[in-house]
Amino acid sequence: MIEVFFQYDFLRYSLFTGVLIGILAPLTGVFIVVRRLSLLADALSHITLTGIAFSLLLGRYINFFAVLNPVYMGMIFAATGSLLIERLRHTYRFYRELAIPIILSSGIGIGVVFISLADGFTTDLFSYLFGSIAAISSTDFTVVLVLTTVVVAIFGLFYKELFFLSFDEEQAVISGIPRRSLHFLFILITAVVIGISMQIVGILLVSALMTLPVAAAMRLAASFKQMFFYSVVIGEVSVLAGIFAAFHLDVAPGGMIVVVNVLILLIVLAATSEKILNRKGG
Amino acid sequence: MEIFQQLTFLERGIAAGLLIGFISPLIGAFLLVRRMTIISEGLSHVTLTGITAGVLMMQTSAFFAFINPLYTGLLAALAGSLLIEKLRQVYKHFQELAIPIILSAGVGLSAVMISIAETGYTEWYAYLFGSILTVTLNDLLFIFLTGVLSMLIIGFFYKELLSISFDQEFASTSGISVRKINFLFTLLVALVISMSMKVVGILLVGALITLPVAAAILFAKSFRHVLFLGIIFGEAAVLGGIVSSYYLNVATGGMIVVTGIIILIGAAAVKKLLPEGFLSKEETV
Repeated sequence: MIEVFFQYDFLRYSLFTGVLIGILAPLTGVFIVVRRLSLLADALSHITLTGIAFSLLLGRYINFFAVLNPVYMGMIFAATGSLLIERLRHTYRFYRELAIPIILSSGIGIGVVFISLADGFTTDLFSYLFGSIAAISSTDFTVVLVLTTVVVAIFGLFYKELFFLSFDEEQAVISGIPRRSLHFLFILITAVVIGISMQIVGILLVSALMTLPVAAAMRLAASFKQMFFYSVVIGEVSVLAGIFAAFHLDVAPGGMIVVVNVLILLIVLAATSEKILNRKGG
Repeated sequence: MEIFQQLTFLERGIAAGLLIGFISPLIGAFLLVRRMTIISEGLSHVTLTGITAGVLMMQTSAFFAFINPLYTGLLAALAGSLLIEKLRQVYKHFQELAIPIILSAGVGLSAVMISIAETGYTEWYAYLFGSILTVTLNDLLFIFLTGVLSMLIIGFFYKELLSISFDQEFASTSGISVRKINFLFTLLVALVISMSMKVVGILLVGALITLPVAAAILFAKSFRHVLFLGIIFGEAAVLGGIVSSYYLNVATGGMIVVTGIIILIGAAAVKKLLPEGFLSKEETV
């Protein structure tokens, strides 16, 4: 069952990329969830679609973009989108939560127009939306590997600062942590991780891989470090199960990954609900 | 009914669009003041699950062949709204997790079912991104009925909805059953999402609910103003979108959203250019 993944190059690269994503996405997800930014991940992933569509459209006219992986344009758009969100939060001082739905829906809307203009309503679009296991080339994999290393290194370097900011923002600012630049760095990382992950998981499902494992891990973990551990384990299990199922059952990998994730979450919720009752009773 | 039958497919699309342009901002205004606009995104993505399930059921069993996927979509949206409430209780300290969980679970399930169902991609794109050309007579009836139903609900419970939206505690002390009205309200949101979906597309329903009221609130002095301006902006976005998509040959839902964005940007620019205090003495919103 597993041998086939080592027989074919494209499957091997997808498998390796999947393993990396299974670490990266939940890792970023933990910070996203504890910083209460889980909706931001959704907004950024939707705006990544706009970037991809834009790149596809440019590819019809400019050779350079025809060969470039559209994912990079997606990442640029996601980073720009996050800046716009900050700006909108400023405009709607009294309705800050409006910023995310505005960006999210505008992202898809403009994306759809780009796709239409590029005559892009084809099978390819489906793999961008819901993931594919045939999309990874060896260069893509090298890029993913490098980016993963960079992201993990940044998390390692700034672990303390990010941890501090996530749990006690005021205290962190007082003790001299540059909140704005760290926040920006973090958003940038999120955009990159979304771009990497969407190649296998699909745009509409990237945020699932960032929030669902963390949501499950949260119920199990007794400490912040444990939360990382459980999220990554759950993330890996779901990604691998999803990729295998995608190949053998011929369904969208992103969909299977999320379904496995949802199942794990349901099991965890069922298993821990008794604990809550006990705690309430005691 | 006969009036509907005489319409051409394009007129059907426009009629459906006008109805939607009217009701979406209406709901959007309530969602805005309740700070729940994001729920429309969550529920619309869950509606997709219902629709894929409906299409799949239609294919696999003759018994379900008569099902219109719009109805299963509506059911899914309702189930989704109940689940969101339940999840909010489970994650008491991270309530904002409920919507991303439901949203992604909904899309994930749909992705799997889309892969299993052997329907052409074009049909799915019509559901995802909307198309006025595919509005059938039945769809128009569905949109009309759900539209009338939701307007009746809003008309009858306007006061209750308003008072809950602005001051939940006050509402409950003055004898309004918050639970019932909240349930009614989610029902309303689910109705509006499933009715708009055919024209605007699932992924874009949230835009039509949010963008017009986001533009309206820049000017509005009162809630009624938000409703009024929101509806004008909504209708303008729908009409502009339908007309431009027809001439540019671009997906309707996309153009509707782009028109909505242009309106929003225009509104923000006008607000900036106008001298401060031109619209109101005190800072309103």
